[in-house]
Amino acid sequence: MLKYSIRRLLGMIPMLILISIVVFSLAKLMPGDSLSGEIDPLNTNPEYIAEMREKLGYNDPLPVQYFNWITGFVQGDFGKSTRFQIPVFDLILEKLPNTLLLGVTALIITYIMAFIMGMYSGRRPYTLGDNAIAGFNYVMLAIPSFVAAVFAIYIFAFQLNWFPFAGSVDILVEEGSFEYYISRMHHVLLPAIVLGAMSTASYTQFLRNDIIENSRKDFVRTARAKGTPMKKIYNVHILRNSIIPLVTFLGFDFAALIGGAIITETIFTYPGIGQLFLESVTSRDFPTLMALTMLLSFLTLFGNLLADILYGVVDPRIRLD
Amino acid sequence: MASSTTITQLKKPERSLSPWQIARRKFVRNKLAMISSFFIVLVTLMSISAPFLAPVLSPLPDISKVNISAMNIEPNGEHLLGTDKSGRDVLTRLFYGGRISLLVGFSATLIVITLGTVVGALAGFFGGFIDSILMRFTDFVLNFPFLVFVIVLNTILYGIVDGLWVLIMVIGALSWGGVARLVRSKVLAEKENEYILAALSIGCSPFKVITKHLLPNVISTIIVQGTLIFATMIVIESALSYLGFGVPQATPSWGNMLSSANEPDVLQGKPWIWMPPAIIITLTILSINFIGEGLKDALNPKSLR
Repeated sequence: MLKYSIRRLLGMIPMLILISIVVFSLAKLMPGDSLSGEIDPLNTNPEYIAEMREKLGYNDPLPVQYFNWITGFVQGDFGKSTRFQIPVFDLILEKLPNTLLLGVTALIITYIMAFIMGMYSGRRPYTLGDNAIAGFNYVMLAIPSFVAAVFAIYIFAFQLNWFPFAGSVDILVEEGSFEYYISRMHHVLLPAIVLGAMSTASYTQFLRNDIIENSRKDFVRTARAKGTPMKKIYNVHILRNSIIPLVTFLGFDFAALIGGAIITETIFTYPGIGQLFLESVTSRDFPTLMALTMLLSFLTLFGNLLADILYGVVDPRIRLD
Repeated sequence: MASSTTITQLKKPERSLSPWQIARRKFVRNKLAMISSFFIVLVTLMSISAPFLAPVLSPLPDISKVNISAMNIEPNGEHLLGTDKSGRDVLTRLFYGGRISLLVGFSATLIVITLGTVVGALAGFFGGFIDSILMRFTDFVLNFPFLVFVIVLNTILYGIVDGLWVLIMVIGALSWGGVARLVRSKVLAEKENEYILAALSIGCSPFKVITKHLLPNVISTIIVQGTLIFATMIVIESALSYLGFGVPQATPSWGNMLSSANEPDVLQGKPWIWMPPAIIITLTILSINFIGEGLKDALNPKSLR
């Protein structure tokens, strides 16, 4: 297992190098200098610009430029944002907690909803409740997340006034106080519900089918023969066996949440990585754009890898090597 | 003489239904899928006939003109769905928007299916070296964070080619990975059959084996997948347009129309501007998914109905 994980991790390196080359080429193809955050935009003296360009290495051949960029990148030097005039690293670090909070809350919501619905459907398959849950999940799966987000804002933020419709925290509350954390949770809840409810369908259906399948197995018959209450059989014996495969979904969700975050954060004007990314595209903030693209690619790769490895961990019958 | 007539009489009722006929019967019996098909046909017809319908249904059939005198009108007898902040008729734009959204969705699906099928069939049929090269490439495409690359690529190509086709090509070129994997796995399973060996042994060229023998046997999977991808592509188009990275703002598409909901003022106080596109997107996606499920059921010889 360990050997396989290490081999897969090493296998990621060529993929990352390829992606970094693609990202670099894309940034070079975009109009404007991709690394011009260091030049003072107010000084328009052509000599100064030419001198700075020479100093920053824009006149070097492309492979050299790529090499310089990637060496800095590996060492954590992402360059300086052209828009905010601060290191990209700090910029990302500032927004990352918001995105993580959103992602984790969304995941928790997905798990809770999927658990309740999946366990109910698995225990009473082909009943009215089961069909209703299946229908609900189907509709949630089909509705595009941004349409759902727009409706959620309209209904819950504007009509019912339950949630704020923008931002990640109230401006008036003091940082670090109890109200501050409550306000943050309050802000994150609506986007997280929208993001989380979208992906319940696969979890619910998987859990339902697994519970139905497991309930026909021999160990269930033995437990029933011994007189174990049905509630205990379902909640302990079967659930334990059905939960494990769900873990593998975690890796895929990782990648899905990244894509979801870009859209959801923009709609809710929630200051996170996704919003930062879109702003860096519109404002041609190339250092930020390149760093974020690399980061998001890495996370996607890592999520897929995690899914593969977890798959082998939870089901020893699957041979990985 | 008498015996030959009995033979012909016997032969006729023996002729059983072709697989396609069976599938069609199953599909027609599926109410949800039929209602959805009807809806999709209706939306398509409305979109296609937009230039003829618009002058009949609204007093402002020109979608490119800004009408200062008719801004933000609530739905009434004259403007059935009201007008938007530039004084353009919402209903007219909805028709024209359908043209763009459906066109982008359909063309992108065509690209995805073609690329995916070619790559998957080649990799699955030849195996070995070609397989590993093609599948590495597929992994590479699949591992890109899709939305991120679409947005960056679209920004680069924006000025160079006409905006609409950039979008179609970019989303098409980045989303064929899943189809390639699916087709490859189907081809891998199918090529183990003896009829493939027979075809090869009588000297059929690989091209002929793939097109005449393998693909007809995996086509039902591709059709079902294509339907579901069509829905996904419409979602992607509207999501990108909503974010401002899709179809150029001047061209009405459902996503572009919905993007007016970005302004809190419109979202809160003028629901007639953003609700029609939101509802029609949702209904279209739902219908296409129902059709896809119906097709999956109908084309599966093992399904009971």
